[in-house]
Amino acid sequence: MTLKTTFSASRRTMLGALVAGTILSPLGFHAAQAEVSGELVMLNWLAGAQADMMAALQADFVTKNPDVTFRNIVPTSSGDTRGGIRTVLLGGEQADLLINTWPAFRQELLDAGMILPVDEAWEANNWSELLSDGWKDLSSIDGVNYGVTYTFGDRSALWYRTDTIEKAGLTAPGTWEEFLAGFEKLNAAGVTPVSIPAKIWAHGEWFESTLLRVAGADFMAKLARHEVPWTSPEVVKTFELLGEMLNAGCCLDPNTMLASVWTDSADTTLLTGDTGYMLIGMWLNTRAKQEYKLTPGTDFNIVQFPALGMGFDNQSMVDAKEFNVLSTVKNIDAANAFMGYMLTADAAGIMAEYGLASPSSAVDPAIYDPVIQQAVNEVAKAEKVQFVLGDLLPGDLVHEYRIQIQKFLQDPSAETIAAAVQKIEDVANTSY
Amino acid sequence: MVEATTSTLDGPHGPSLGARVAARQLSQRRAAYILLAPLLIFFGVSVLYPVFETIRLSFFEIKGLAPPKPVGLGNYVKLWNDENFLRALRVTFYWSFSATFFSVAIGWALAMACALKPKETMIFRVLIFAAYGVSEAVVGFIWLGIYRPDYGLLNGILGGLGLEHLQQAWLGNPATALTAVIVAYVWTQVGLPLMTCFASIQSIPRSYFEAAYIDGAKPISMMRHIVMPLSLPGVRVAIFINLLQSLKAFDLIYMLTGGGPVRTTETVGFFMFRESMLNFKLGYGAASTVVLLVAVLIVSTPLIAQRTRAVK
Repeated sequence: MTLKTTFSASRRTMLGALVAGTILSPLGFHAAQAEVSGELVMLNWLAGAQADMMAALQADFVTKNPDVTFRNIVPTSSGDTRGGIRTVLLGGEQADLLINTWPAFRQELLDAGMILPVDEAWEANNWSELLSDGWKDLSSIDGVNYGVTYTFGDRSALWYRTDTIEKAGLTAPGTWEEFLAGFEKLNAAGVTPVSIPAKIWAHGEWFESTLLRVAGADFMAKLARHEVPWTSPEVVKTFELLGEMLNAGCCLDPNTMLASVWTDSADTTLLTGDTGYMLIGMWLNTRAKQEYKLTPGTDFNIVQFPALGMGFDNQSMVDAKEFNVLSTVKNIDAANAFMGYMLTADAAGIMAEYGLASPSSAVDPAIYDPVIQQAVNEVAKAEKVQFVLGDLLPGDLVHEYRIQIQKFLQDPSAETIAAAVQKIEDVANTSY
Repeated sequence: MVEATTSTLDGPHGPSLGARVAARQLSQRRAAYILLAPLLIFFGVSVLYPVFETIRLSFFEIKGLAPPKPVGLGNYVKLWNDENFLRALRVTFYWSFSATFFSVAIGWALAMACALKPKETMIFRVLIFAAYGVSEAVVGFIWLGIYRPDYGLLNGILGGLGLEHLQQAWLGNPATALTAVIVAYVWTQVGLPLMTCFASIQSIPRSYFEAAYIDGAKPISMMRHIVMPLSLPGVRVAIFINLLQSLKAFDLIYMLTGGGPVRTTETVGFFMFRESMLNFKLGYGAASTVVLLVAVLIVSTPLIAQRTRAVK
C-alpha cells in the first residue's frame, strides 16, 4: 500500500484562507449553484450529533433546492467504519457521495476504481476561492483532486475543565516541563492529571501528539508511508517521554486505562472534573455542549500539546472529513451542488452550532465558539499540519501499534520500548 | 423405469401388487422430495453457498477493495505461523470448555434443585431462561456497568463489604479479563442447561422414586443414583449446544473487551471479525472461519451421528 496523501499546508496559505474568509463573509458569499433536482444518494456513516448535523445540513440544502431529495445509505459497522463501507460497496450499493475521513481509504477506493476526480467541478465552481490549496492537497493523489473537505479538527489539543485546573492553582501548561510539574498539584487536589483511555484506540492520540513534537510532520508522513522504520530514535524518544509522563504520576493504574474508552475520559475530565487533561478530536466539543450542557471557553477549554523545544512545537495534527464522488454517481449535478453548499457560510453556521469547524474561507470565524475559534487559529498559524497518524496506517499495523502502546502503558521500561518498536516494525514489514 | 417394471410384472388384470407398491413408493419419494424442496433450496442458498464461498475465499489474498489474488493454501500456512491466531485458538479452547463446564454444571444443579418443587420454582426457571434469550449486546451493556472500575456494581459491593483491596478494573486487567467475560457469558447461558436437564429429570418415571423410597433410600442417595444418571441425556444435549455456542462467541467479547486487554480475550471468532471486518483481509479471515468450522464439525458430528443411530 502506498500512501501518497499527506497534508502539509503552509502557515501563509492557511492565514490567507482565514483573512479571505473574514473579508468575504460579510458579503454573504455563496458558491455558484445550478438548478438541481432528483435524488441524491449519500453513503452516510455518521452517528450521534454528527449525524444530526448532517441531517440539518441536508434539510437546509433541500430548503434551498426543493427539487432534490436525499437518500442516505447507512453502513452497519462496528469499530472501524471502513469495514461497513467496504461491505456496502462490494455488496453493489450505488451512491453519489461518500463521506470519508481516511486518506489511506481514499487511495484504496481510487485503486479499486470506485471514486472519480473532482477537479472539473472544483474549477467550474471556483472552489479555490473557498478552500485553500492546503485542503486541496489534502484530498489529492498524484496531483489529481478526489475530495472536498467540509470539516476539520485540531487533534493536538489538550482538553480541560477550567475549574479543575484552577482548583489545583494552575494555568494551562505551555511547555512539557510545566505540564509535568503540574501533576503534583493536581494529584494533591485529588485530580488525576491525565486520562488515557486505552481500551480500543484513543491512547494512540498521546503517542501521535508527542511524536509530532519530537519529530515533526515530515517524519510522521514518512513513518505513515513506512519510509522510516518504527525502530527510529524519534519513535523511541517518543515512548521515553510518555514513560516520563507515566513515571511522574500522570495517570490511573494501567488496568483502569485499559478498561476505559474515550467517553469515560470525557466524563471524568469535562463532566466530573476527576481527571485533568485529555486528548481527543473536536467532536468532544459537540459532546460537551450538547450532552454536558457546558459553555465552551468558560466551563472548559483547550490548550495545544505542550512544547518540547525540539524544533516542532509550531506544528499541528488534524483530522478532516471530505466528500468523495463515487464512480456509481447518477446525480452528479446535485452532488456537486451539495459539495458547493457545504462550503457556504450557511453550512458553516450549522456546523458551528454543532461545535465543528469548516475549512471554508466563506466563514467568519466569529461565528465559532471560543474553543473552535482557538482550534481554527492554532491550525491556521501552524507551520505545518499533519493528518492524524492512526488513520494513515494499514489496519493490521494500526492494531499492532495500539496493542504495543497498551503493553507499554503496563510497563514503560526500556525493555518494553525496545520490544514494542521492534514488534511494530515487524508487522509494518508485512503490511505495505 | 416405472414403465419397464410395469411391463414385466403386469398381470391379466393390470399391474401386479408388487408393481403397484413400487409405484406408490416412488410416488411417495417424489412427494417427499417435493415437500422438502423449499427447505433444500433454502438450505442451499443460506447455508451451503456461504460455506462453499467462504472456503473458496480462503484460497485468495484479498486486501481491502483490491481484486482477489489466488494464494492456494497460503492463508492456512500463514494462520499456522500467526502467533495471534494460535493464541486465539488457545483462548477459544479455554473459553469454550470453561464456559460450557460452568454453564452446564450450574444449570444441571439448578435443574435438580428445581425438580424438588417444580411448581414453586416455575417463575425462577422462566427468569433464568429469559437471560438466555436476551441479546448479548444488551447483556454486554449490563455487565459493563457491573465491571466498571470507577462506579461499577461489583467494585461497589466489594467496597460495601470492606473488601476495597479486591476492587479493580476487571476488564482492563489481563489477569482477570477473560474470567470476567466468561462469568458474564455463563450468566447468559445457564438457562438452556437448566431447561434441558429439568426436562430430563421430569421424564424419570415416578415409580423409580417410589421404589427407592420403599427401599429406604435417602434424598441424597436418590439424587445420586437416580436423578443424576437418568438426567444425563439432557446434560449431553446441553453440553453439545453450549459448546457450539461458545465456539462461535463474539458479541459479548466485542461489547466487554473488544478482544483486549492486549489480546487476552481474543477468541477465533473475534480474530475472524478483526481480520475480515476491521483489517478487511477477507481471504485470511475466511481461512480462520474455515478452521473454526472444522472445530465445530469435530465437536458436533459425533453427537449428530449418535442421534441419527438412535432414530434408526
